[in-house]
Amino acid sequence: MTEFLDTFLDDYFAECDEHLTAVRRTLLALESSVGQPRPDPAVTEELFRAFHSLKGIAGMVEHREIELLAHEMETYLRAVREGDVRLTTAGVDTLIDAARLLEHAIAARRNRQPPVDVESLVLELRQIAPAGDSAPGAVAVAPPTDAGSWQCLFTPSAELIARGVNVDMVRARLRAVGEIVSAAPVVGEGGGIAFRFVFQGEPAAADVEAWRADGMVCSRVEQETVPAAVPAVPADRGASTLSSGHYVRVDLARLDDLMRMIGDLVIRRARLGDAVARVESHVPSSDWRAIQENTSALERQLRELRDGVMRVRLVPVGEIFRRVPFVVRDLARETGKRVAVDISGQTTEIDKFLVERMLDPVLHVVRNAVSHGLETVEERVAAGKAPEGTITLAASAAGEIVTIQIADDGRGIDVDRVIARARVAGLPVPAHVDEAALLELISSPGFSTRDASDRVSGRGFGMAVVRTTVQDLGGSMRLASAPGQGTRFTFELPLTLAITDALLARVGTQTFAVPQAAVREVIELDAASIQALEGGEIIQYRAAPAPVVRLSGVLGIPVPAAQERLHAFVVGAGAGAVVLVVDRIVGQREIVVRSTSDPLIRVDGIAGATDLGDGRAVLILDAVALARHARGGWGAAPRVRETA
Amino acid sequence: MSDQRSDQYILFTVAGTTYAVPSSQIAHVDLVDEITRVPNAAPFVDGVVFSRGQIIPAINMRARFGFERAPIDLRTRFLVVNTGGRSVGLLVDACREFLRIDPSAIHPPTDVLGGSGESYVAGIATTSSRMIVILNLDQLLASNDPILAA
Repeated sequence: MTEFLDTFLDDYFAECDEHLTAVRRTLLALESSVGQPRPDPAVTEELFRAFHSLKGIAGMVEHREIELLAHEMETYLRAVREGDVRLTTAGVDTLIDAARLLEHAIAARRNRQPPVDVESLVLELRQIAPAGDSAPGAVAVAPPTDAGSWQCLFTPSAELIARGVNVDMVRARLRAVGEIVSAAPVVGEGGGIAFRFVFQGEPAAADVEAWRADGMVCSRVEQETVPAAVPAVPADRGASTLSSGHYVRVDLARLDDLMRMIGDLVIRRARLGDAVARVESHVPSSDWRAIQENTSALERQLRELRDGVMRVRLVPVGEIFRRVPFVVRDLARETGKRVAVDISGQTTEIDKFLVERMLDPVLHVVRNAVSHGLETVEERVAAGKAPEGTITLAASAAGEIVTIQIADDGRGIDVDRVIARARVAGLPVPAHVDEAALLELISSPGFSTRDASDRVSGRGFGMAVVRTTVQDLGGSMRLASAPGQGTRFTFELPLTLAITDALLARVGTQTFAVPQAAVREVIELDAASIQALEGGEIIQYRAAPAPVVRLSGVLGIPVPAAQERLHAFVVGAGAGAVVLVVDRIVGQREIVVRSTSDPLIRVDGIAGATDLGDGRAVLILDAVALARHARGGWGAAPRVRETA
Repeated sequence: MSDQRSDQYILFTVAGTTYAVPSSQIAHVDLVDEITRVPNAAPFVDGVVFSRGQIIPAINMRARFGFERAPIDLRTRFLVVNTGGRSVGLLVDACREFLRIDPSAIHPPTDVLGGSGESYVAGIATTSSRMIVILNLDQLLASNDPILAA
């Protein structure tokens, strides 16, 4: 019975999460409706549904404080939806506070902590909602205004822009005939961007007709026909369909268990493969072929199973990005800065585990960007920049790598200040501080540019923790910063963790694994074809010189005798190609990646370790880092510097 | 976990000296399997060991205390300790006994060593027959600086 209850509660909390996600997603969209006679019904409807469902399910499990809070939020929102109450900034603030408390209250229940006290927010919500219960079905009558409400949908096109018809011009036209109440970008029918203006005024019928040719479709908003239900941009269209019944919620721990089991199976299959190869000479060839066919089929099917489970674990990066506008909004308030958030690529998928781990690092970098990166309105205007700063978040995937970029168009990192502070903190400062060195300094433990008075950013989560988190996930971090132009952090993360395809190579007596995703090509070469150059070595690769890195040298492994024929991995493309030389490539395997995050063994060029089923640990090389090391040390290659 | 007071200790020897670690910090004690060398790791780190599904860094305690390494033999043990959220293995000459040590028998390190004392030494216990150095693992693992044996 208790087991049933636990399962039921698991489902309950999962459902709560789903509704909280919807609330988070839509609440900020609501803010853009402040002052309008009626907010976007698509937004209020989604919020209303979420509060209503939360109230219902919380009531079922007798979580009274959650039920009560959700009820009051629902009541206020109903009043707004019905037009009984005009949506105000204070109202949205209260809703956001209430949503936070709701999240907190649910978390407390989940962690079996005492129920959270919701009374003060309940009172606050009651104050802003109209007195007395608005009976269901009561028809709300909004006070008629002298001028009529109009909405105008403007769909820009290349042709219109060529003719000089742009958003600013549309704005000017509407201003000439009335007062603009709101303006918001919306996604049009075909997925393109359009702008919806709501304004109070009386445009001449002739104007309305003439504007039509300029992509402006204007219509009077009747009391009953609220503006056409076009979803606002922040309400992610893809995600809103998630509430339909074709989805199953799964606890991540169960997926982890599945993944671990598959990992064990992968190792077991590899051992079986080894054993099969060993008995070849003892078994009649017809029998052996049958065994062999079955083990290869098993390997293939196992790989499909693995891919299938991995796909189940993938979630959109948008789960992280969705939190950012909240954080930015609060910080902008506290610091008095004006900040816009520009988000792209939020549908890029990444392993659920990575999304959870990357949330704090991303939010930390965003907080830093708003607090330190962006200037005040006055500073920006004085510098000839737009008064509003922009935080840009972008995600994209290429192969097995997911890239997340966080950029601001602020003042850039003050290198001298960083150096001065690093010296004070007793950190070693190189003679020439480039962007890589700058990143190294700001993410050193013990470094913090945080002033005692600045309580806004940081919150005990420094860049050192950001770097450690990213490295532990098998990722890497880059920095680009230009004075007066801004700062950009780039995180590169593996699409998934746990299992990957790797090539096994021998260097001296040691075996290493190299993830195949990083390897462009495997080549065999003559030792004689390697030429010395400026203290390094090069080889001709695809009609161009490429630097050669002997792993025995970099890793300090003695090699018994000079071999004539060598194997090598080519990493990087075009002019960035680096040839990593090993003694021999001995095979290809699926490996289970285990982290080597302990500081004692966190070494550049080592990405982790694995076991091949014989109880021995095998190190996984970070081929990309090794190649980067080679390029940095190779005098003839120009250093590639990013600019923001 | 590390600050939990426990009277039960595991004793081990390194280069003739007996050390003690609270048994609550010991995950398990293994015979020494193959150690995979990690290039460019700290000089006292012999490498990593795959132990019970985990990759554990192996600290050679002789090297850590500035002694010559000794060949691995049948008495050599690998102590896997859990402290500060980390799992680390200590390669020691021998590890054979548990011992209850009465807190009153433990002297603060400054009494014995004079001066500021060594931070990785939590105390020195004296029993009728011998002297035991009680280690502060958090301190021992916090830094990679060379240290001298107590």
